[in-house]
This record gives sequence, structure tokens and C-alpha cells, in this order.
Amino acid sequence: MAIVMKYVLVQKLSGVKRYPLVLMLEPLFRCNLACAGCGKIQYPDHVLDKRLTPEQCWAAAEECGAPIVSIPGGEPMIHPEMPTIVRGLVAQQRYTYLCTNAILMERKLDEYQPSKFLTFSVHMDGLKEEHDLAVCRDGVYDVAVRAIKAALKRGYRVTTNTTLFDDANPERVRKFFDAMMELGVEGMMISPGYSYQKAPDQQHFLKRERTRELFSRILGNPKKGWQFNQSPLFLDFLMGRREYQCTPWGNPTYNVFRWQKPCYLLQEGYAKTFRELMESTEWDHYGTGRNEKCADCMVHCGYEPSAVEDTFGTMSGFGRTVKLTVLPTSR
Amino acid sequence: MTDTKNHSGGATGSPKDRVFQPTSFSELAEAVELAFDYRGDVTVALKSGESLSGYLFNRQVSGPGSYIELFPSDSSQARQIRYDQIATIAFTGEDTATGKSWENWIAKKDSERRAETARVAADAKARGIM
Repeated sequence: MAIVMKYVLVQKLSGVKRYPLVLMLEPLFRCNLACAGCGKIQYPDHVLDKRLTPEQCWAAAEECGAPIVSIPGGEPMIHPEMPTIVRGLVAQQRYTYLCTNAILMERKLDEYQPSKFLTFSVHMDGLKEEHDLAVCRDGVYDVAVRAIKAALKRGYRVTTNTTLFDDANPERVRKFFDAMMELGVEGMMISPGYSYQKAPDQQHFLKRERTRELFSRILGNPKKGWQFNQSPLFLDFLMGRREYQCTPWGNPTYNVFRWQKPCYLLQEGYAKTFRELMESTEWDHYGTGRNEKCADCMVHCGYEPSAVEDTFGTMSGFGRTVKLTVLPTSR
Repeated sequence: MTDTKNHSGGATGSPKDRVFQPTSFSELAEAVELAFDYRGDVTVALKSGESLSGYLFNRQVSGPGSYIELFPSDSSQARQIRYDQIATIAFTGEDTATGKSWENWIAKKDSERRAETARVAADAKARGIM
């Protein structure tokens, strides 16, 4: 990740106070699942049928300049031009994470080319029982596992992304981590579920204290083989071992409505340009203790950039990152 | 503001079927905020007599220059409409976020869940996205 390190250091040396780290690119909201906890797909049909063009996607990436692009949605693999979109982002040398539920992945693998800049980030919310329940459809876990195996066999980079809700069983989650590492994925990403402002399910998301307790039980005694594809300091934060304020500009969101204010989860309005987003959003109004909508949020899109800032901005952060990277079981 | 339906908000709190006829800027701003938060189409009647149905996805409140942005349901181009052009806002489309909570999902009978799952899967198949 030399490109990312160089990018962050250049921003810091240039005195840039607010810079984006990961572009959250949502080229469509249409999905082939209807998970109860998801607040991203509740739109009228004519909105679900809208798609960003490849040119819009590439321009958004260039406009904000983030070295990493995460493509959630909706289900991005539904987009007929997704391989073209990905090719363009890879050509821009951006680390591109295609976040998918993997239902279409095995069938469409040949439309993509393996690259160090492309990673399939497969949505997995637990072992078979938990995952199929979370996505409200039986059999999806098995489909995803088959797709992961096929992708790994063909040389693609594969990670998983997992959202944990307040009913998560720590022992089952640990078994799930074992299962994913046995499959051979490169790393895992985890985040607590937090209420999308417009999600239909507002009661099932984690509160802050419960988040710390849950993640401490899951990550407190990590197994040697577990690999996480995220900042070790963010995991510390989830366990209550570090305190951060939110960095909502770290993961700016671009979708069919344009640049979303202020973050991936809250929808307070839209800006026409990235510059307008950065200059017109009242950033100090957001984050823990500043806004009741943010009170319990500990989600990666706001706090992982804070952890990265800690790594590159403080000696203690840098030292702890190095220690946990070299010796992950020292946690 | 004049709400043409005596609506208590119902069990879901959704403004579905309500019609607002604002009589001041603050009432209009309030109606626009409700429409912005609404996960369904609204119908905006303009003072010119034109009527637009679509999804209100943005608003910019800045005094006389305030405007809304809406994706009409029958066009791919977004429309920008000044606040002072608006006569009424009606919540005409289905509220797509209503009744889909986790608790509702869990509370359903197994047969109902299977039927709903099959419906979603059939819709995805029909669209060629399965």
C-alpha cells in the first residue's frame, strides 16, 4: 500500500487538514437482495433504475483524488458497465474494492482481470445460519463461498466485509473468522451496524457501549491466522482502547444524487462538486457528542480514516500500528 | 400549513397520502424537509399549473433562491424548482421504507417469510439480476 502511504504523507506534508481516503462510489441502488437492515435500497423503481456512467465514476474518482475506491450500492455487479468502470479505476491506479453479495460473482468473473488494484470484497455477515438470516434469503452463504473459491482459484484478490448487529454471538463470529481464513481470503473487514438515517430497521443497531463490549469479546484474544484488511487502530477503537472523533470527509460518498452530505450514512443533502461538498458542509456539526444522529456511530466510514490519521499523525499511533501489524496477537 | 388530510401519522408515522398547501415560507420549508426525508415519490403542483411527480432528492435553502431538486418518474433528467414556484406537495408514491423492519421480518410466520423471499427473488430474476 505504498501508494496510500505516499498519498497520506503528501497530504500531511502539504498541510491539508481534510483529505479523502476512500471514495464510496455507489453507481446504483438496485440490489438483488432485500436485507432487512439495509437503508440503501428503499427508493421508487425509477430511482433504482438509475445508473452512474463509467465516465461519471472515473470523473468522481479524479475529482476527489482518493487513492482507494470502494464500490458498494445496491449490488454493483448488476450494473452492466461495471467491468468498464473497474477497468478505468484500475487504470487510474486506485485500489478498488468491489463490494458484492457474490450472487452474480462467479458468473461474471471472466469480465474482470486480476490486478493488485482490484479486490472483490464479499459481503458475509457470519456463518451460514447468521448470513442467510441477515440477507433474508436461504442459500446465499453457499453461493458466496463458491464464488470466493472460484475467484481465488483464478488469481483475484478477495476480502470479506462483515457488519455485526446487536445479536451477534462472539463465539460464532470467531468461528466465522476461522472459516473465512480457511477459505483463503486475504483479509477481513468488520464494522458495527449503525442505523442508516432512512433505514427501516432503527432498533437493531449497536449502541456504543455494547459495540465496545462485543468487539472486545470477539477480538480480545485474536487467533494467529486472522488477517484484517483495516487499520489495527480502528479495531482498537471498536474495543474501546482508543478514542477518536469522526472524520466524515475521509470516506466521501458519490452516487446518482451526486456528493452526499456529510457522510456515507447520513443524507443531509447533496453537493454538485467535491469542492462544494468540502467547502459547504459544516463538518464540526458531525461526530460523537456533536450531533445526536452520530451518538452511537462507530462505523468504519467515519472512524477508520481517524485511525489512519492517528497512525500518521502521532508517534504513539504509528508505534502501535507497527506493533499490531508485526504482532497482531499482542493485542 | 394546510394539510388536506386530517392525518395522525398512523402506526408507521409515514406522511403517505398527505397533501401540503403551505401558506408561508417556513411552512413550505417544513413540507420540503418532510418530502426530502420521504422514501417515495411526491407530486409537486406548481403555481403555473404544471404538476410534477417524482423523487425529491435534494433541497437548497437560501432565502429567495431556495430550490428543490427532483427526479421526475418519467424522465432521466433532474428538475430544479424554486420554492416560490411551488403551490402544493402531495405524498403520492408508496413509502418504500415502511413495514420492512428487522422486527417485522422476524415476527412473520415462516411461510410469510418464504413467500416474501420468493417474491424478491422472482422480481430479481425477471429483471435479469439473479
